[in-house]
Amino acid sequence: MEQQQKQQIGVVTFFSSQHAMSAEEALKAKGYQVSLMPGPKDISPNCGVALQFEPEKKAEVETILKEADVLFEAVHLYTPVQEKSLLKRLLGK
Amino acid sequence: MRDDVIYFDNGATSWPKPPEMGEAMMHFLTEVGASPGRSGHTLAVEAGHIVYSCRENLCKLFNLKHPQQIAFTKNITEALNIVFFTILEKGDHVITTSMEHNSVMRPLRYLESQGVIELTVVQANPEGVCAVEDFAAAVKPNTRMVVVNHSSNVTGTLQDIQAISKACKAKKEDVLFVVDTAQSAGAYPLDAEKMGIDILCFTGHKSLLGPTGTGGVYLTPAVTPRPFMHGGSGSKSDMEVHPLFMPDVWEAGTINIVGLAGLNAGLEYLLKTGVANIRAHEIAVTQRFIDGIKDHPMVKVYGPLDANQKTPVTSINIEGIVCSTVGTELNDACGIMVRTGLHCAPGAHRTIGTFPVGSVRFSFGGYTTPEEVDVGIKAIRALADYAAEQKEA
Repeated sequence: MEQQQKQQIGVVTFFSSQHAMSAEEALKAKGYQVSLMPGPKDISPNCGVALQFEPEKKAEVETILKEADVLFEAVHLYTPVQEKSLLKRLLGK
Repeated sequence: MRDDVIYFDNGATSWPKPPEMGEAMMHFLTEVGASPGRSGHTLAVEAGHIVYSCRENLCKLFNLKHPQQIAFTKNITEALNIVFFTILEKGDHVITTSMEHNSVMRPLRYLESQGVIELTVVQANPEGVCAVEDFAAAVKPNTRMVVVNHSSNVTGTLQDIQAISKACKAKKEDVLFVVDTAQSAGAYPLDAEKMGIDILCFTGHKSLLGPTGTGGVYLTPAVTPRPFMHGGSGSKSDMEVHPLFMPDVWEAGTINIVGLAGLNAGLEYLLKTGVANIRAHEIAVTQRFIDGIKDHPMVKVYGPLDANQKTPVTSINIEGIVCSTVGTELNDACGIMVRTGLHCAPGAHRTIGTFPVGSVRFSFGGYTTPEEVDVGIKAIRALADYAAEQKEA
């Protein structure tokens, strides 16, 4: 069960949250499922806001962002160390 | 007001604000509206009174004598930059600390890289405290400024600015003592005269309880200011030369009057409530928080463990869980808003040993309740217990 919860995700990291917002708009306009998330500090010390995307779409995401002239730091495939919604489970919510 | 969040990010900006603050801004927008210092009509004069009242209330709060020596800026970063870029000259030596925010370090490092200034950085201890004698030891014949962050935005650690100022000026009388009060103004009693502050930079939207877009600087009359922006000032309009007297020299163009109407209301609330009372409350909730988590073997609390030695800003880490994950979990499970990472203060994180991993920062305010703190404690302990189990496994 725990293994299933720790899935690899796609994460774009940025230098600025405004760039993250531009990226979100650019990708949503093309119909991609993306969402803003706190930047994982274990992959980048930079901006507090990152963009999560479906990991199998990595190449396309990179292309779209470059075409849209959105400045980003890097595109990662990231496996969170802890399960999703860990604290909710711990607090019995 | 929304009740689905617990706001522990007052170090970024204070929230909520006293209702009077928003009401004052609305009053300005609907009943006053004018720009002061330009036209001489009724509404302009009324607007002018609001802005002047704001200067006067800052003087009351900080024990300053000359309201006209305060220039308003859009934030404290701008105020600090104006001070550094208009006052410092080639060959000047500046002393600062390893606990500074980037609003001080970035401009000073830039001036150093351009060969304009020599820079000495006094190293704080792992709790963030600087030794007074280190400042005096660093003073040289060409020392122009000593710049100190009164309270760290990472650990809340307070520096003894009165002692630092005294020690530096004993060695060189005309040193300019510049204080970054971003985390302390409104949260800790500031007496500029007693503390020997020559240049006091402040932000309006943290513990002064005003809106974002407000801040400013008090400049000692001993310094002749130079403009950083040249433009309309509503004064000496016959001249095409920017005036050199305060505050006009540093207030070119229309200032954020609606914002200052809000800041003025925030200041009046502070003066009415008393900074000492707010401080007592903030010490109590901060101590409750620290005491509720410090004994857990997986939790590290940075900075002083005595809330009397700091403002209500506390950084922690849970061993085995990256700070950004702690922040996300607190947000998603409990609606707790904190800031994780490096907090625009890499030097401070280097000082306390959290570079480059960062920390989870909890910054309480006058509206933080003990009940909210307890939710935070419970959540942190739950994550820390989990981290302990994972470590043993």
